[in-house]
Amino acid sequence: MTAKFDFARVTQTTVRDLVEIFGPSGVSVDREKVTAYSKDEVALHLWDKEYTADVVCFAENTEQISDLMRYANDKKIPVTPRGAGTGLSGGAVPAFCGIELSLERMNKILEFDMENLTITVEPGVVTAEINKAAADHGLLYAGDPCSGDASFIGGNVAENAGGNKVVKYGPTGNHVLGMEVVLPDGSVTWFGGKRRKDVTGYDFVHLMVGSEGTLGIVTKIILRLLPSSSFVVDLLVPFADVKSAIKAVPAIMTEGKSIPSSIEFIDKQSMLLTEEYLRTKFPFSNEADAHLILQYEGNERERLADEIEKIGDICLKQGALEVFVADNRTVKDKLWKGRKSVAEAVWAHAPIQVSNEDVVIPASAVADFMRELDDICHGAGVKYAAYGHLGDGNMHVTLYLEGETPGWREIIGDVRQKLYTIVIKLEGTLTGEHGVGLKRAAYISQFLDDAQIDLIRRVKLAFDPNNILNPGKIVPWE
Amino acid sequence: MRIAVLIKQVPDSDEIKMDPDKGTMIREGSGNIVNPLDLNALQAALDVKKKCGADISVISMGPKQADIALREALALGADNAYLVSDRFFAGADSWATALALAVTIIKTGPYDIILAGEKATDGETGQVGPEIAAMLDIPCATYVSFMDIDDMFVTVKRTVEDGIETQRLYLPALITVLSDINDPAMPTLSGKKRARRSDISVISAADIDLSSEEVGLAGSPTRVVKIEHPKITRHTEFYCGKDIEHGIEHVMKVLKELAIL
Amino acid sequence: MLRDKSCVDGILVCGEIRQNKIHSVTKELLGKAREIAGKMATRVTCLLICGQLDDMPEELFCFGAERVIVASHDKLEYFNQEITAKILSYVVEKYLPEVILAPATTSGRTYLPSVAAMLHTGLTADCTSLDIEDGSGLLLQTRPAIGGNVMATIKTPNHVPQMATVRPKTFRMPEKHVDGNGEIIFLDIPPSLLESRIEVIGKEYASETVSNVQDKDVIVSGGKGLRKAENFNMLHELAELLGGGVGASRPTVEAKWIGYPHQIGLSGRVVSPKCYFAIGISGAIQHLAGMQTAQKIIAINKDPEAPIFQIADVALCGDFKDIVPVLINRIRREVI
Repeated sequence: MTAKFDFARVTQTTVRDLVEIFGPSGVSVDREKVTAYSKDEVALHLWDKEYTADVVCFAENTEQISDLMRYANDKKIPVTPRGAGTGLSGGAVPAFCGIELSLERMNKILEFDMENLTITVEPGVVTAEINKAAADHGLLYAGDPCSGDASFIGGNVAENAGGNKVVKYGPTGNHVLGMEVVLPDGSVTWFGGKRRKDVTGYDFVHLMVGSEGTLGIVTKIILRLLPSSSFVVDLLVPFADVKSAIKAVPAIMTEGKSIPSSIEFIDKQSMLLTEEYLRTKFPFSNEADAHLILQYEGNERERLADEIEKIGDICLKQGALEVFVADNRTVKDKLWKGRKSVAEAVWAHAPIQVSNEDVVIPASAVADFMRELDDICHGAGVKYAAYGHLGDGNMHVTLYLEGETPGWREIIGDVRQKLYTIVIKLEGTLTGEHGVGLKRAAYISQFLDDAQIDLIRRVKLAFDPNNILNPGKIVPWE
Repeated sequence: MRIAVLIKQVPDSDEIKMDPDKGTMIREGSGNIVNPLDLNALQAALDVKKKCGADISVISMGPKQADIALREALALGADNAYLVSDRFFAGADSWATALALAVTIIKTGPYDIILAGEKATDGETGQVGPEIAAMLDIPCATYVSFMDIDDMFVTVKRTVEDGIETQRLYLPALITVLSDINDPAMPTLSGKKRARRSDISVISAADIDLSSEEVGLAGSPTRVVKIEHPKITRHTEFYCGKDIEHGIEHVMKVLKELAIL
Repeated sequence: MLRDKSCVDGILVCGEIRQNKIHSVTKELLGKAREIAGKMATRVTCLLICGQLDDMPEELFCFGAERVIVASHDKLEYFNQEITAKILSYVVEKYLPEVILAPATTSGRTYLPSVAAMLHTGLTADCTSLDIEDGSGLLLQTRPAIGGNVMATIKTPNHVPQMATVRPKTFRMPEKHVDGNGEIIFLDIPPSLLESRIEVIGKEYASETVSNVQDKDVIVSGGKGLRKAENFNMLHELAELLGGGVGASRPTVEAKWIGYPHQIGLSGRVVSPKCYFAIGISGAIQHLAGMQTAQKIIAINKDPEAPIFQIADVALCGDFKDIVPVLINRIRREVI
């Protein structure tokens, strides 16, 4: 399929027209600002060139976005939607310049529906605020990405963000019931609604989820809420070696006879870097090659305590060095602050000469994956930190080199390729929750066959015939 | 060595919600935690136990549900727990609280050292510790950020406004600690199991030979005469985006008005 | 002690001595004591318990004291809470004050409770306002409670002395009177009071930048929003430029980005400077309770909904990394 990248440039007239739509305070051409809004959390030096939009717009409502898309579609100017900029795949990076559309001003919780157990929000609401608002009503919004204190729900939907509770509740897409969408031609439609069942037409809701802002701009989101549990207990479980940590999980699930809401994995290197970053200590950080975090929920304190004892004993039987129990806010905060800071800690330690991976492997193959990862890194003299959502086989692996290493791009690139080869061999995939975006588009053909890649392109052009919405993402076009 | 640790169950200050009209605290939904500095006090005791062996008793005055706080201490490694709880204790000010705890310490003691957090996050008077020490007639050091015990003495560092004081106190002594004395450990599964199955002794006013006149509100020298809900009256000037420049000029104006510049 | 009308006399202010100098909180307390002494028709005495004294105690007559008791001894070169408490108790029994006001500093908050316990009377910590009740003539002591969300007014109806501690900078420094005079008593300290089970080994003085955030007119505080420890450097720079101190929110202290003496809030220090900068601090109740009495509050935060903005006079919404350097340059231009 031929690519369409013959875009118009943004001119002074364009900016004037945009001011017509968004008002003077809704448009900025200030270089500093435009540059800032053209990045996400992928380090700049990892791009082969500088991607900077020409103008950034701040939408306040659906109508403005509809007007914008009609205009941009007509003029053939690329539009890149952006949430909080916490993305890790360059999804919000304007690959073809043009207009960067920030949704940060659409940040209202619109409705709490206690009868249907839904919450309707705008895309710019910070995820943690939804968690908190739900909790204030005695309910649970089960989306819980590690970036939740900063990321927007719109971005979570676009990337189908996963996080810490996927093993029990599924990723963001599982919680999305409906959405208002502005299509690339400016038309506004609703996919889904407050309904729990819907086979009237294609399931566009779940096509939109994880489409990385390439098919339409989500302007309202209806999320499913669940009753929240009265008590939540976390376990921190150190293991002497990685293999026994990973092998313990099936036993925990089957013998434990209950699904934890989280099964998180932190390897020794990640733990040590986190300790350094937070200037705190976690138990057994030097003795254990791996730590697991398990989370259990329940409505009766004593029953949950019984369950925790049982699970803890299983862990010890599986070779855990110790089992720590966090059942109050003080200890839980420390535990989860640790887990949620791992990415920042690794980033702070290795800001350049890195590659951040987000691979997924079937749960049964994680132990093999970790062994092979260790082998290839060791062989190439590359360091790594691995952590992630063990319950869903989603491992975040940061490959890095310390000191100044000439030719580091090639060395790391080589290891990354070897890593991908292993992932493919183990029937895993490229990215679990960070997305393909711009960063991984060149690698997707190793993971998907031609038929599927071609289908992705055709779906894209069915939604967006002029290819103006977030062009150049997910699959290679040229 | 015998150590007593005084702990208090407090509302989780991160979860406190206020009724904006009445100015009262909404208790529902907000959890209780062990006063954070008291966990540092307990950890200091556990560190002594690890170093030279000790028998640790935790003592808390509060309602029945404060036994959760005591069980948490047991899970962390305390050996005995006493809950000083009686309806007659209600409404106690710091003096009356100190009296009930001091008498409990005598009844369950003797102890070589008594540890507590510097203050609790709810009342935050920081008075109960030094008052108990005075009632027991033992020396007391507050604001302690380092502690080392040998047979007869405890050496402490007190973090005060203009520096750090080093003092040596004859045992028995009472020490109140700051958060930087240590990093409280996490409870283990075996600790939790033991704590769940432990008995917690409940101590009433009668058990420590105090009459209802000597404790609680009746035994308190101070009285609360009124509670007001102050309204914050500040006019906020908000600057954002391009306006930040104006905001910075506003800051300059404020600094000049206050004669700081 | 139970109240007995015949044997109570006046207001006793406990002075704060640091490094042989009379600390300003002493004068702030004398000003307030003078004010309430007017309503009680009684006199104000100031007690200085110290080692050496570099300042002239007479100076205190110009700030509202009518009598100064100096209890000075070599053994008191460094603060000793046990000896200090015993001396205060002795002074109380000898001079029978009706009211005692003392600084809510680390020393005041240590020996005052001891004395309250020894004398069996009430003590109210960290009062923010003091008054005299009409009719009864009792001291009304108001202090924040529940994290500063309510103000509780407390009195001590049946016991004497009525005791209260007050944080530095809570009350204004009184005008200095030129013609102040009064009586100075050098206390003869009975030797038994100087015996102690506490041996003071020594003291390391903190550097000027660390010491004593409570005493600063300007406090520049940082929170989680600073993202990492190194970013406190920027705050130190700003604080230094303004002659102020650096404060911090609890999470940053827990993360060991900065030491505990800097912590502002319920579990740290409570301050009321002229000007408080809250940078990257969202404004948890626990923090607000420690700083909301500042004269002016300037908040810098990325999140427009941050609760700190609700109590700020000037709210700058944006990334501190963009704003603080600009502010520093702007101030630098002004001071040079």
